[in-house]
Amino acid sequence: MPIVTRPDFLPGLPKWSRKTLFALALLGICFAFAFPVLWLILTSLRPESGVYYVHRGTEFTLSSFAEVLSDERIVGAFLNSALISTLATVFSLLVTVSSGYMLSRFTGPAPRIWFGTIYVFRCVPYISWVLPLYFVTQSWGIYDTYTGLLLPHIAVHICFFSWLMKGFFDGIDPSMEYAAMIDGCTRWGAFIRVAVPSALPAISALAVLCWLFTWNEFLFALILTGNRVPMITVVMAQFVTEMGLRWNLMAATAVMALVPAFLIALFGQKYVIRGLRI
Amino acid sequence: MAAISLSKLNKHYGSLFHAVKDVDLEIADKEFVALVGPSGCGKSTTLRMIAGLEDITSGDIRIGDRLVNNLPPRDRDIAMVFQNYALYQHMSVYDNLAFGLRNKKTAEAEIKAAIDRAAGMLGLHELLQRKPKQLSGGQQQRVALGRCIVRNPQVFLFDEPLSNLDAKLRAQMRIEIKRLHAAIPTTSVFVTHDQVEAMTLGDRVVIMRDGRVQQIGTPLQVYGKPANKFVAGFIGAPAMNFIDVSVRSAAGVTAVEAEGLRLTVGPADASVLAAHSGRRVILGMRPEHLVLGDGAPGLGFDARVEVVEQLGSEILLETRVGGASVTAARVPAETAVARGDQVRLSAQSGRLHFFDPETELPISR
Repeated sequence: MPIVTRPDFLPGLPKWSRKTLFALALLGICFAFAFPVLWLILTSLRPESGVYYVHRGTEFTLSSFAEVLSDERIVGAFLNSALISTLATVFSLLVTVSSGYMLSRFTGPAPRIWFGTIYVFRCVPYISWVLPLYFVTQSWGIYDTYTGLLLPHIAVHICFFSWLMKGFFDGIDPSMEYAAMIDGCTRWGAFIRVAVPSALPAISALAVLCWLFTWNEFLFALILTGNRVPMITVVMAQFVTEMGLRWNLMAATAVMALVPAFLIALFGQKYVIRGLRI
Repeated sequence: MAAISLSKLNKHYGSLFHAVKDVDLEIADKEFVALVGPSGCGKSTTLRMIAGLEDITSGDIRIGDRLVNNLPPRDRDIAMVFQNYALYQHMSVYDNLAFGLRNKKTAEAEIKAAIDRAAGMLGLHELLQRKPKQLSGGQQQRVALGRCIVRNPQVFLFDEPLSNLDAKLRAQMRIEIKRLHAAIPTTSVFVTHDQVEAMTLGDRVVIMRDGRVQQIGTPLQVYGKPANKFVAGFIGAPAMNFIDVSVRSAAGVTAVEAEGLRLTVGPADASVLAAHSGRRVILGMRPEHLVLGDGAPGLGFDARVEVVEQLGSEILLETRVGGASVTAARVPAETAVARGDQVRLSAQSGRLHFFDPETELPISR
C-alpha cells in the first residue's frame, strides 16, 4: 500500500517555530477573510455620526438594528427572501434529484437532449438571462410576484445543480438499484427507496447550496421584482438616498442577512463536505 | 423451482457491437451452471438478460414454463448476487434481508422466521443490526447470499460474486456456495472469469468467447474433450501447451514432429491422424500429463528448463523444446532441477490432443 506523507512546512526550521509560523499563516488567512465581516459588524454598531471614522471613538449603539427592524419593508424583505429561498430549494430539488439521476443512469435521446439543453444554458452568462426573463415575466403578468421570482430561480438551480447531482449519482454503484429491482421494486421504486436514500448526504449538500444561492442572489431580485416583493439583497442596496449613504443601516441589515446564511453554512457544512466528497 | 431455457438469444448494443450471439442453453431444474469466459465474452450480459436487467435484441428466455422476455426483473422470481455485493447501504443487515419479502407484503413474523433460518445457515446472527459499511467483504457477500435465500426464488443468479474477495476467502466462499446449493437445491447460473470457480461449482460449465457459446458440458467433459482449441487452452491451469507439429506416417508408424520433438503416437491417435498425414496440425499436451523421465517408448523428448516455480506441493517447470515453449507440471516438489538443466519429459499416450490449425477444431474420429 502506498504511504502518503505530507511534505513538511519549511523543513529547515525547528519544530516549534514551524508550528508557530504555520499558526500565524493560518491566522493571517482567516483574518483576511474575516476582516470585511468584522468591519461590517463594527459599522453596524456605530452611531451614524461615527461610520466614517469607525475605528475612532468608543460610542457603540444598537439603534441601527432597532431602526432597521422597525422598518416593515425590510422585515418583509427578510421574510420574502427566506420564503423564496426555501420554496426554490424544495421545488428545484424535486426536479434536480431526478434529473441528475436520469443524466447519470440513462442513455438515449431524451437524456442527451436534456444534457445538451442544460449545457447550453450553463454556457450562457448568467446575466444575459435577466433581460429576456424580465420581458417574459412582464408578458405573463407575473412580474414582481413570488411566482415571477421563483420560476427563474428554480430554472437556474436545475441547470446548475443537475450536473452536481449527476456527479453524486455517478459515484453511487447502480447495482444496488438493480438488486432492488430484482427484489420487487419498479424502476421508480428503486430510485426512491434505494438511490435517493443513498444520495441523502449529497442531497442535503445540494439543499444548502441551493438555499444560499437564492438567499444571496441579487440580479434576479433587482430586475424581476419591484415594490411588491422586495428581497433582502435589493433592500440592502437601497440605503443610497438623496440624503447620502446610510452606512450604519446598510451594515445592520447586512449583518442580519448574514445570520441565517451563517447558521445554515455552519450546520450544513458537514453535509456539504460529505456530499461533495461522494 | 424451475428450469431455464435460452433460445437463439442475441444482444446488440447499437449497430456496432454484437455482445451475445445466438446463445442456446437449457438449464435443468436445480442444476448449477457456470458461465465462464474471458472478459467481454458476453457472459455477464447473458446473465443480465436472464435477470431482466438488459433488454433482449432477439430470442427467447423461459423460466419454468413462462416466457419472460418482456417481464420486468421483479416479476421473474429470481435473486441475484452481485460482484460488489450491492447491499442497501442505508439499511441494517436485517432490513437488507427483509427488503424483498416486505415488497411482497409478507407478514413480519414470517419474514423474521425466514431471516432467522438464513442467518443461521450463513452465520449472520451477530451482524443483523449492523450496517453494510461495518462488515468485511466476506461478511457482505454472505449477507448478499442471505438476501437471495430468504426470498426462496426459483432461480439464483451470481454475477462474479467472488471476484472482489482475496484468494483465501474466495476458496471459503466457493465451498459455502456449494454447501448452500446442496442444502437448498435451486436452479443457479454462476458467471465467472475464473475457470477454477466454474469447474469446482458447476454441474455443467458453459464456455463463452466473443458472445458465442464454445462448449457446454460437465467439468470432466470440457476438460477431457474440449470442443476447440480455445476451450482446451482456457480450461485447466496451467494452460494446455500447444505445439505446431507435422504428421509423418511411414511403415505403419505414425509420428508427430516438430523441432527437437518426435512423438510416436498410439494406434488410436494414429487412426485419427491418418487423414492428416504429411500435413501440419496443432498438438496439445496438458502440463499435468507430462512426466519427468522416460515414459512409454517413443513419447519422450528433451527440454531445457527456463523457469522453476516451486509451489511446495509440486514444481511447475517452464521448459523450451526447440522453438516452442512447454510447461510441465506435476513434477514432485523434491525434484532437484535448476534453470538451464536439460531434462527428459514424456507425454502420455491417449492424453494427447490434436487440433486442425485452420478451424481449431479437434481432430477426432
